Amino acid sequence: MNLPDRTVLENGAVLVSHALPSNPFIAFRGSVPAGVAAEGSDVGVAEFTSRLLLSGTRRRSAAKLADRLEGIGATLEFHNGEELLSFQGRCTRETAAETVRILVECLSGPSFPPKEIERVRGELLNDVRIEADDTRARAFRELARLVFPKDHPYGRDPKGGEAPIRRIRRADIVSFHEAHVGPEGLILAATGDVDRAVLDDAIAAPLSRLRGDEGGPPAIPPPPPHRPGSAWLPMPHKTQVDIAIGAPGVPRRHADYYPLNLANLLFGRIGLYGRLGRNLRDEQGLAYYAFSGLDARTAGGMWSISAGVNPANLGKAIESIRAEMDRLRTEPFTLEEITDGKDNQMGSLIVSLERNAEVASELHRMEYYGLGMDFLERYPEIIAGLTGERVRDVARKYFLPSASSMVVAGPVGRTRFRL
Amino acid sequence: MPTRVETLDNGLKVILRPIPDTKALSTWVVYRIGSRNEVPGMTGSTHWVEHMLFKGGGKLGKGDIDKMISRLGGKMNAFTDTDYTMYFETIPAGAMDTALMIESERMRNAAFDPKEVEAERTVVISEREGAENQPDFAVEEELWGLAFHVHPYHWTAIGYKQDLATLDRDPLYRHYLRFYAPNNASLVLVGGFDPAVAMQHIREAFGPLKPETPPDPLRLSEPEQHGERRSDLERPGPADLLSAGWHIPAASHDDIPALVLLTTVLGGWRGTVPFAAGDWQPRSNRLYRALVDTRLATDVGVRQEMKLDPALLIASVTLARGASLDRVEAVLDREVEKLQRAPPPKAELARARQQVRAWARYEQDGVTFQGILLSAGEGLGSWEFGEALLAKVEKVRAEQVRAVARAYLVDAHRTVVRFHAQEVPA
Repeated sequence: MNLPDRTVLENGAVLVSHALPSNPFIAFRGSVPAGVAAEGSDVGVAEFTSRLLLSGTRRRSAAKLADRLEGIGATLEFHNGEELLSFQGRCTRETAAETVRILVECLSGPSFPPKEIERVRGELLNDVRIEADDTRARAFRELARLVFPKDHPYGRDPKGGEAPIRRIRRADIVSFHEAHVGPEGLILAATGDVDRAVLDDAIAAPLSRLRGDEGGPPAIPPPPPHRPGSAWLPMPHKTQVDIAIGAPGVPRRHADYYPLNLANLLFGRIGLYGRLGRNLRDEQGLAYYAFSGLDARTAGGMWSISAGVNPANLGKAIESIRAEMDRLRTEPFTLEEITDGKDNQMGSLIVSLERNAEVASELHRMEYYGLGMDFLERYPEIIAGLTGERVRDVARKYFLPSASSMVVAGPVGRTRFRL
Repeated sequence: MPTRVETLDNGLKVILRPIPDTKALSTWVVYRIGSRNEVPGMTGSTHWVEHMLFKGGGKLGKGDIDKMISRLGGKMNAFTDTDYTMYFETIPAGAMDTALMIESERMRNAAFDPKEVEAERTVVISEREGAENQPDFAVEEELWGLAFHVHPYHWTAIGYKQDLATLDRDPLYRHYLRFYAPNNASLVLVGGFDPAVAMQHIREAFGPLKPETPPDPLRLSEPEQHGERRSDLERPGPADLLSAGWHIPAASHDDIPALVLLTTVLGGWRGTVPFAAGDWQPRSNRLYRALVDTRLATDVGVRQEMKLDPALLIASVTLARGASLDRVEAVLDREVEKLQRAPPPKAELARARQQVRAWARYEQDGVTFQGILLSAGEGLGSWEFGEALLAKVEKVRAEQVRAVARAYLVDAHRTVVRFHAQEVPA
């Protein structure tokens, strides 16, 4: 495989790309460091900003932007996250130049019309209510707050909550945008039907005209120490209970990341959800889903377990999750499990990168975390170098019941179970 | 794209789309069996059978499918629709035989171990209960239940909980044997392979399988609806919801291309493959302008259910806090009336057509999505369904869009479900 192409533009923006000629369009994914971590005490302003970038620019209204983008058949979206304001879209080689020009226009000259601000405020308030009524979303929101306490950006609701949403004014949004959205720290990854000409003329040229902040990415503080806790969120009108269990993981560049990623795969992801799925779903029929996840970011991360069960099975499900965590000590991963997991990670290099959108995301990750453009070439060596002992050690170290928080949301009744 | 089609002696139709520079391979099998082939008391059985086909049988022990695909770093899944059921594996291209072996065993040799059937009962019930946690599932189930009194589209693919609680192993197994046969299925391969070599391996894997007597065609058809049907659900929830469904013809009908553009003008186009559009929200359509831009709603969508039998075109709205269901419904009525009164202007129609055209490309993103497109097309009659539809959409005139709005978006053929969100109990 040829190495991805990487270009640093004069304004500091970084363009990475990889051609996949059999996919007949261009997918792109990018970001600027203007997520929750950049908002400081202006809670919720990053989310507001991200939702307003398609709401009109100095040159055209929200309606005209939508008409033009959809008129050329392109898509463009902005999303807020804990670290980044990200964007993604699709276009063809014929429409790439105009799509990137519109992207730059939205990033550099949003007009933040008051009417649109009020529309987004209503949308955010509705979304907060909808999330609060969703057992899984609510359990995970609370779990993040427990694992990343003291208002750390990773523990905060990116939407900010009802009070901040009502409080935010146009001036707050304008100054956040001015301070944080610009070419500094911008990454754009493009894949699919791209070649040198498209990259230079249709993407790099309009992107290099972006001007703006010179502040650079905000420093993200390491998360404060986690004190394991639990929360029970009664939602008696629901049918199913959601269980969320988790604890701090590691930053993406941490030495434990790769063994922990493999341990997580074996514990609750591989096939029909690894050991967890085998026990809770396959053997006991307790849940349609029971799996683990690993989230690794710049300054920290979280591993987690998610399961949705009938309230009558809640105690049994928690007990079974606990048993699987304990089993990591009493019956550590076998050599066969570890070999299967490593084979899976090697093979998934091909399978997980078969789509434009997936390749664009991976390129973006490589650039953002500084993994190097040769990362995909080195990946098999990294995986091959993982020893069974190391994987078992990190499993024992991180998947620890006594160090984990647990949140249960749904029709929980009065009985409280412990992990 | 070059596509080769052959039919084996046992009736299995094989569709091969080689993509030379691709290292991955996506193998799909689509069976012409869905919840429309179920009868009352057995709702959800097709979906339950789908779950059982991951549990081994024949050459495959329990857990083998999972293990074999995992070792390859592959992905696999299955989907049960009202009209068809699909299974897939996407794996490195060199491992083609693994996917073919899994699918050929799955076609006739699934075990249906009674213990495993019983263990899966609570899993499918759990899947349904997870859906029940979402207010929009209640709205969806109510809408189809009310719009169809005779045809099995009356129930959704997951089935009713009371049926899931009482269904036995033997009827499930009979359901499997009846519909899982080479002459009731199509095999689709997309990715890095040589077609001649692939055909040889396919013949070895599937050739020995015996066909079944073809299933009888479905005799049930929904009588014409005379008069609007309405339901008002009052349940705890975070937001009021409105869903309106109009009866439209089957996917093969000549009016479908014009309805595609009608759908796009009214609510935007997000392609025909589920999940392809992700979170992307079209904003240049009439309902977005009339309901979201005006702050009456926070989300709006229109989807055209393309099915083997006449189905529904559905407009769904999540209301903004404080907006009234009456007002939103009045706005929806007004926008429908506008479409009935005048054909869409040239620029608007061109934009709608461009969206459909663009999504036809975006949906080709990789071997898995191409596999789902071809398989879903087969489920509706032909793998060429998507391409043929696009070609027809290119020729639709503005006047035809108005004509289908007048023919189909009529109150007497409409079902409306309103979800009145009640205060969530503390």
